[in-house]
Amino acid sequence: MGISLNKGGNISLSKTDPSLKNVIVGLGWDARPTDGADFDLDASAFMVKEDGKVRSDSDFIFYNQTKSVCGSVEHTGDNRTGAGDGDDESLIVLLDKVPTDIQRVIFTVTIHDADARKQNFGQVSHAYVRILNKDSGNEVARYDLSEDASIETAMIFGEIYRHSGEWKFRAVGQGYSGGLAALARQHGINI
Amino acid sequence: MEIAKGQRLPLSALITDGPASDFQVGLQISGMGAAVDFACFGLDAQQKLSDERYMIFYNQAKSPCGGIELSAPAGDNAGFLCRLDRLPASIDHLVFTAAVDGSALMRQLQSGYLRFLAAGREHARFAFTGADFQDEKALMLGDIYRKDGTWRFSASGQGFNGGLAALVKHFGGEVADEAPSSASPTSKLSLEKKIAATAPKLVDLAKKVSVSLEKHRLTETIARVGLVLDASGSMYAQYDKGKVQEVIERLLPLAVHFDDDGELDVWAFSQRVLALPAATMGNYSDYIKEADYGWRNWGMMSTNNEPAVIENVIQQYRESVLPVLVIFISDGGVSKNKEIQRLLTDAARLPIFWQFVGIGGRNYGVLEKLDTMTDRLVDNCGFFALDDLHSVSEQALYDRLLSEFPLWLKEARQKGILR
Repeated sequence: MGISLNKGGNISLSKTDPSLKNVIVGLGWDARPTDGADFDLDASAFMVKEDGKVRSDSDFIFYNQTKSVCGSVEHTGDNRTGAGDGDDESLIVLLDKVPTDIQRVIFTVTIHDADARKQNFGQVSHAYVRILNKDSGNEVARYDLSEDASIETAMIFGEIYRHSGEWKFRAVGQGYSGGLAALARQHGINI
Repeated sequence: MEIAKGQRLPLSALITDGPASDFQVGLQISGMGAAVDFACFGLDAQQKLSDERYMIFYNQAKSPCGGIELSAPAGDNAGFLCRLDRLPASIDHLVFTAAVDGSALMRQLQSGYLRFLAAGREHARFAFTGADFQDEKALMLGDIYRKDGTWRFSASGQGFNGGLAALVKHFGGEVADEAPSSASPTSKLSLEKKIAATAPKLVDLAKKVSVSLEKHRLTETIARVGLVLDASGSMYAQYDKGKVQEVIERLLPLAVHFDDDGELDVWAFSQRVLALPAATMGNYSDYIKEADYGWRNWGMMSTNNEPAVIENVIQQYRESVLPVLVIFISDGGVSKNKEIQRLLTDAARLPIFWQFVGIGGRNYGVLEKLDTMTDRLVDNCGFFALDDLHSVSEQALYDRLLSEFPLWLKEARQKGILR
């Protein structure tokens, strides 16, 4: 089991696991045990520059655009209900292939159709993000969001970023109320 | 402060002056057009009800530790006094729930809230309307829980279309599958109300019955209840001193709860068999003295002929579509073992469970052995003996009477004996 982070905490990936080249970012939550519309949560990634904006719309990796042009970030598919053990959705990041002008890769989870379904993260239990070494399968770091997720409908779970020539991971836990659209606009996507 | 649906926050943010461990939760739901039952479930770290004494509702108004107590603030439908410091470490969650009966759905409610009061004033309120819900019939409105050494609150606002039964199941309880699906949980929960209206003397007993039924997951079971009374000569003193009358009083709340018609079918037997008029909330108070001209006129008090009464009971219930619980009181001296065993072995294919209760006697013969004999289609007999009916508390008596019946219900359903 990897290092457990609290909201705002960060670790050096390069120092924690020197063999880490290819990362699996696993995102999970529990399916609702209650009745009503299912929670359909979607994981996405924004590849952003120093200024926090994408270079173009193709730097937004989500269920309709599952792989970056450079091939460094890939979304492995949508799980519609959160059912099953293990990560509900995951993305793969090949650190050496991330273009040099990309400063950080931000991982978000949004609730699909949250407003119509009157859903928010306060009704999602055991949400987490974890970083795994794709080659060894080891968990490097983990952040459990449950208590930091509340009335928001979109959240930045965490980010991988460059710092003094190495890669670091930060547990962000920042929520937004406007869903995926608000998050996308914030990172320079035109919708 | 206003709390939004889904919000999670520390209790200390809600109750800012004074300790955040002593407060009152007020609950209100208006415009439902149906009765709403509120409860507080004290759950373990796995969010299961591992100790049923921590289901706090009108039939069990206080937890053993005194940490949760039913108490409605002025103006609210219901409420609970919470003294978190008194709760044992095993209680990790207090979940406040609301359930409705019949065809009502939570989206039909006009307005409602869960609010926190301390030091005589309101500190925070989670307000909701029907638009926050869908077809739920039971809701978890809020959850107070331990996290890293502090108490927090989450305005969960989620629930179950299956009502109270689904909720109890979610908390780890097993709810027996219904025989007739028309049964509604709240009609069962209203036992105490029903009894309070017609037989107030029995209210205290009704509460104890409800606790036992909760414990044995029988709150939703509908069954017929029959009582067979040994009226052989050796029982004379028990009748004369009113002890048998007390049996009627103790068992009637059980029958009222289970029974489709709220009646306790009664037989007396000695050498011959007498089917008595059913005991009801209207006639129970002098039943033994009055029913069928009173016990002295029943023509009993000779030897005991169990096979005759067993056959009579079988005739009565063999076609029943509901499960039947027969409570069979005997003071022993059983001699017709072969005949009894043949009858009850045959009766294993019928929807009848026989709970034998030995009282103050000895030589229960085959009645005792049937409890553990395995040569039947299902184990349709239970047995326990008491020195005296009054040697155990009412609560213990109900617990013992109901301990084997649920096992039979399950097996009888699996084998197709019950629908």
